[in-house]
Amino acid sequence: MGQRRPAKRRRLSRTPSLLLSFSPFSRFLLFAHSSSVPKSGSPDPSPSSKSTVDGIADPKPPKAIKRMESSEDEEEKQEIEMVQADFEFFDPKPGDFNGVKLLLQSYLDKKPWDLSGFVDLILEQTTVGTIVKSASQDGEEEGDDDGGDDDESLFAVISALNLGRYAGHGCIKELKRFLLEVCSDESTKTKLKLLLEQQASDVGLLVSQRFVNCPYQLVPPLYDALFDEVSWATEDELFCFLKPTQELRDSFRLKYYMLLTRILENKNVNQRKAKQSQDYEEPFIYIKAEDEIFRELSLLSFTFRLHAEQLISHELKNYREMGLVMVVKADDISKFREKLKSLLAKS
Amino acid sequence: MATRLQFENSCEVGVFSKLTNAYCLVAIGGSENFYSAYEAELADVIPVVKTSIGGTRIIGRLCAGNKNGLLLPHTTTDQELQHLRNSLPDRVVVQRIEEKLSALGNCIACNDHVALTHPDLDRETEQLIADVLGVEVFRQTIAGNILVGSYCAFSNRGGLVHPHTSIEDQDELSTLLQVPLVAGTVNRGSEVIAAGMTVNDWTAFCGSDTTATELSVVESVFKLREAQPSTIVDEMRKSLIDSYV
Repeated sequence: MGQRRPAKRRRLSRTPSLLLSFSPFSRFLLFAHSSSVPKSGSPDPSPSSKSTVDGIADPKPPKAIKRMESSEDEEEKQEIEMVQADFEFFDPKPGDFNGVKLLLQSYLDKKPWDLSGFVDLILEQTTVGTIVKSASQDGEEEGDDDGGDDDESLFAVISALNLGRYAGHGCIKELKRFLLEVCSDESTKTKLKLLLEQQASDVGLLVSQRFVNCPYQLVPPLYDALFDEVSWATEDELFCFLKPTQELRDSFRLKYYMLLTRILENKNVNQRKAKQSQDYEEPFIYIKAEDEIFRELSLLSFTFRLHAEQLISHELKNYREMGLVMVVKADDISKFREKLKSLLAKS
Repeated sequence: MATRLQFENSCEVGVFSKLTNAYCLVAIGGSENFYSAYEAELADVIPVVKTSIGGTRIIGRLCAGNKNGLLLPHTTTDQELQHLRNSLPDRVVVQRIEEKLSALGNCIACNDHVALTHPDLDRETEQLIADVLGVEVFRQTIAGNILVGSYCAFSNRGGLVHPHTSIEDQDELSTLLQVPLVAGTVNRGSEVIAAGMTVNDWTAFCGSDTTATELSVVESVFKLREAQPSTIVDEMRKSLIDSYV
């Protein structure tokens, strides 16, 4: 089953320590720097260190150890110390509940909904979906847990949920209701309704969330992993280790991907005059850069206002955080993957 | 009885509320459901006060208190201080303290008789805790964590500590606190006990992710099943009337 999965790749990872925020990620980098000497090669995480919590499934080795090359030069006056950070990609498992829930806390703005149920759906779908955790630096940590025992070191989650397969779950119903509520444009709403109801089994909800300052080098492998898993799942989806069912394989033959994400929109509508001057500000800032690519390729997209408290930094005071919903055709995904790679190559 | 609830999709109810035997503080801004859940349980017995501390909603983690007093960090504004002094019963001493570790709720865990504190707390603060809260103060760690106020929750009848607390540590703490202790979790395996729940002698509030097993552990260790608010408040009332005479 796992033969087609990519073998572990190792590349040296470096992350500039721009530790100006209080995120768990920057805290981790601080401790990683102070506690251990950067190693030239990371030790092979042995299968025994990844003991299973759930007794049923076999211990799955991490799918890929992602380390990044960063040859950026820091042109800052103070000494920037390079910190090595290793990230591991894991299949979702029930123990990740608290970490994933934290990442998806504001998924539906302020609306109270069955977030726990939604997280459970993501974690139950072990064949499609990836969780990114830090590789433990300290060799003396309790070896009984798999690498990344603390949910605090869970940095990113990505998954694709078939809206038709899970249509009966309360959280999916609430999510669909929310999407229809926030859509203000009538024609878009009709198209959206069609996708969410009649065509739901062709639509995959692409859930992708990560801490804001995650290194960008993580992103292309994350999306590659997801789309590869979706195509593998159409061939060999298993249900509780029993015979693969045609139904479940078909549930991954997706025609559309739906995304619900956040962007920053410029509050000043009148940008035309400013276009020539240096004060021109981008009308949109994409918090996750890949959203810009998705939006270009999207079949339909719309933004909506958020009601939750906004935490905007001073430099971005002209911007307001908005929600963005997009639908992308599955056929356009290969274009997306290429553009994503070239986006990274440029930066 | 233990109740499960959420504050705006967050199960960390111990962050947004503070419950003692004499009063209950609740953060502003959550939906009315949060506030009314507390009112439903507590309204006739103790005052439920909506407040912010230093303009924030994380009041449970910033303040520490018991039936005798309430300690607030230096970030508390004058209006908030006045509001609390007006809303709480007169016998509760409300005091703002100058302590560099301003998240008092994370540094101090207390019931009406004993307090456990962060090992690095100032001497003056320790003195103030003993005076204002009327407790005996012990500097301790819990399972190697210095934030004792986060990793344990205890009342006058029982306590819940971090799941990785060793048996020896549990015994030692149990002797200090003079209550039975149990190591456990709340909110589906969250180790930050005091953030996930808040408790007094007759009731507890836990995050809605708390499993039935966790809830039954909470109810049994804090002896909530037989508890009635009236008996406990009557006991306090009797001792108060004595003092006037």
